[in-house]
Amino acid sequence: MLPDAKEPCPFVEDSFSRFPSQSNIYGLCQAGEQELLAATLKGKVVCFKYQDLQQKIRPVAKEVQFTYIPVDAEIVSIDSFIKSPPNRGLVVGITFIKDSGDKATPFLNIYCDYEPGSEFNLESIAQSCLNLELQFTPFQLYHTEAQCGDDCSETVFLLSGHDQRIHLYKENASLHQFEEQPVERLFPELHTLPSNVLWLDVLSIPGSRRLSAFGCQNGCVGLAQVDQRGPEILQSWRIQHDSPVSTVLLFPLFHQPEQRADQEMTNDSKSQQIKGYNLLVTSTIEIAVVYSDVEQCGLSRVLCLSESDQCDAVLCALAVDIDFDGQKEVLLGTYGQDLLCYKFQPIRGTEGEFQLLWRRSFKSPLLSIIYLDLTGDGLRELAILTLKGLHILQHSLTSTANLVIKRLASRVAALPAVSQVQPITEQDSEENPASAKEKTSLGT
Amino acid sequence: MRSLSYVERVSLDFTGTLFPHAICLGDADNDSLNELVVGDTSGKLYIYKNDDPRPWITRSCLGMLTCVGVGDVCNKGKNFVVAVGAEGWFHAFDISAAVAKADSSSQQEGVAWDEQKPSFTQHIPANTKVILISDIDGDGRSELVVGYTDRVVRAFRWEEPSDAADQSCGQLVLLKKWLLEGQVDSLSVNPGSEGLPELMVSQPGCGYAILLCSWTQAGDAEPDEDTPACTGGESLSRDVQLHLTTGRIHNKNVSTHLIGSISRGSKDDSNKCGLFALCTLDGTLKLMDSSEQLLWSVQVDHQLFALQKLDVTGDGREEVVACAWDGQTYIIDHNRMVVRFQFDENVNAFCAGQYACKEGKNSPCLVYVSFNHKIYVYWRVELERMEPTNLQRVLEQCPEYKALLHKLGIDANDTRAVRKLIGDLLYGDTQSRTD
Repeated sequence: MLPDAKEPCPFVEDSFSRFPSQSNIYGLCQAGEQELLAATLKGKVVCFKYQDLQQKIRPVAKEVQFTYIPVDAEIVSIDSFIKSPPNRGLVVGITFIKDSGDKATPFLNIYCDYEPGSEFNLESIAQSCLNLELQFTPFQLYHTEAQCGDDCSETVFLLSGHDQRIHLYKENASLHQFEEQPVERLFPELHTLPSNVLWLDVLSIPGSRRLSAFGCQNGCVGLAQVDQRGPEILQSWRIQHDSPVSTVLLFPLFHQPEQRADQEMTNDSKSQQIKGYNLLVTSTIEIAVVYSDVEQCGLSRVLCLSESDQCDAVLCALAVDIDFDGQKEVLLGTYGQDLLCYKFQPIRGTEGEFQLLWRRSFKSPLLSIIYLDLTGDGLRELAILTLKGLHILQHSLTSTANLVIKRLASRVAALPAVSQVQPITEQDSEENPASAKEKTSLGT
Repeated sequence: MRSLSYVERVSLDFTGTLFPHAICLGDADNDSLNELVVGDTSGKLYIYKNDDPRPWITRSCLGMLTCVGVGDVCNKGKNFVVAVGAEGWFHAFDISAAVAKADSSSQQEGVAWDEQKPSFTQHIPANTKVILISDIDGDGRSELVVGYTDRVVRAFRWEEPSDAADQSCGQLVLLKKWLLEGQVDSLSVNPGSEGLPELMVSQPGCGYAILLCSWTQAGDAEPDEDTPACTGGESLSRDVQLHLTTGRIHNKNVSTHLIGSISRGSKDDSNKCGLFALCTLDGTLKLMDSSEQLLWSVQVDHQLFALQKLDVTGDGREEVVACAWDGQTYIIDHNRMVVRFQFDENVNAFCAGQYACKEGKNSPCLVYVSFNHKIYVYWRVELERMEPTNLQRVLEQCPEYKALLHKLGIDANDTRAVRKLIGDLLYGDTQSRTD
């Protein structure tokens, strides 16, 4: 019944933190560079990080006392972002429902500290709260950068609700507080919606454009290509799925162009590849699908993630490069307690396909996944929120260290012989071609 | 404290109830792969092989089985499965012979009663509690040591006439009897300061006693069962060396377990002192060496009832594994690095060791007997390392790493620059979406 996998899971569990109560699919977010915030149902927020103590690192899960969350509150969603430059500071948003018996009241609390020096201090941020009462039951709390005016961009909260709308919360700099603004001014594509939005994803693409995708409770998936300088909807697509859409995810992939493949064989393999944007849609009953090259083809080219419907509903998804070959893999977390990893395999003459690379079982249903560098070494870890707690999966360090040594050696070999010592900044600018060449030779 | 969740497990059917020492891992059929041996209170002996949920071999014994063991108890160069009942019936099974016979007849259904019978049965004093099959006197031959509920420990040796063709000629001969002050919950052997094995038993209140094998000094006197080697107070005090460990012991009667001969890994050959660990029901864990030096002590909030050793990192050094009634399991290495694992049920019995569960090879396993007619074997418990670390520290172990960094003009101590470099090397030009 369970899908077979080709390879073993390359991750090893580094720690597991048990939570006092369960969480949900909106319950995990990255806060700052190396920290995670996880919200549990019974009003508790746990901050997870690795502490550096006496040359040793150790995982620490500590409860953060966010103010103005009543004891009878049930947290729905949590999100956090770092303000777009030139502003500074970490913003945390928490939606919860306060059930005082007669009537349940939903709230959005936004935490942000304006005191210079403590903009990133979670303890003091948790104490400065803006409390907004909501007129709808909140779902996903999301943030994205929006262009407001000339060359000035600002990060805003987008909150979907059971009122078939998406609400936008934007900072009012002069008042030092967040306020709700009409969503259509900055996000016209999110204005009239067919149903309640369960998941939303926005991706900025070159040409100051963006792709926005949303998945609805009634199975509708919407996608739009928007010119951010208007903003103006360039194109939009809708498609109907048969069951509630649990996540939508926009991610780039490199494709081999099919027609011109024969003509430009002489060129570098990298330049031959073109980047296409893809939309992953997971739904609670159906198989997960990827709409490929959505920028050009809209929702017309579908690739199925085979056997992704064999492990119960897919609740969370992530597209990250976990085998260090420059191409993103798709990770799906399921209610059936499995983590599935799919890799895109280009097949000449066809659109290619996603193949199941490996799977790993957990002790309880998977709710949310984030890939971030918790240990501060440049290598990212996989943080997986399950019904029982937070798992941190680390890449096998021995094999990754071997890969780093190999790539270091080839980078050193590629150095011009005359200049022995170069400043780091120059290294970074010439990084891309070097690593691309070596991708073909050293891919794991 | 680092905590993990193991997932890969196999559940085996087991409908009986058992005593905590009636479970062990060992090579029952001499195929170099380990099996799981379990004895229940109705006298049934079950042997489980690989991941088959049903027992591979079942045998019936007399009485209530209190302890099982696998070892070369007859000194014939092959392992026997040993099961001892509370009433004093000792059974030895030659599983490999039975398997060979069954294979040759190739008729699984018609296995005669003959082959089901133990190859050897003998009545020894009753009220057994725990057994140990090991060389306790340093002569290179295995002895059988039995601990009793009445604070007595007896050592037996298998003796048979040199011209004997059949096993029925041999029998267990009592070597010595020791009387202790407190209950004996575990028996173990640990190399002493000269490297010779010493028989250690646990004593209540986080104590232990070393039992001297006086027959090695007194020549090969071979007492038989009617005249035990030692009686009377004088020899008792001489042959039992009681050691009490200091520390926070609230209750001097608290049940204590012990395990010895914890491997230090290959390179530490110079130090002959054996390592042993102690644990108590009130949550004290200690690692000591045979010169009575304390390596570490850990206090936990769980009732520890089983103590085992297991090399989970594969570096040759064995970690101490302690399990509590509520399923909380601690794996602690020699440097006091702790890894916790919570088994989600109450535990009836626990053991840890090498077991050939999957892929036809031995791997470190944790075995839990639940109260719900299941035995759970966690077969993928290996860890790359005990302590959490990051890539930079692993890279610093590589000899060429610093030279390569130097050629790139990066200081290895500049954590930020190294982090950026590693991020570039691994993820290259991935347009990281910051969510």
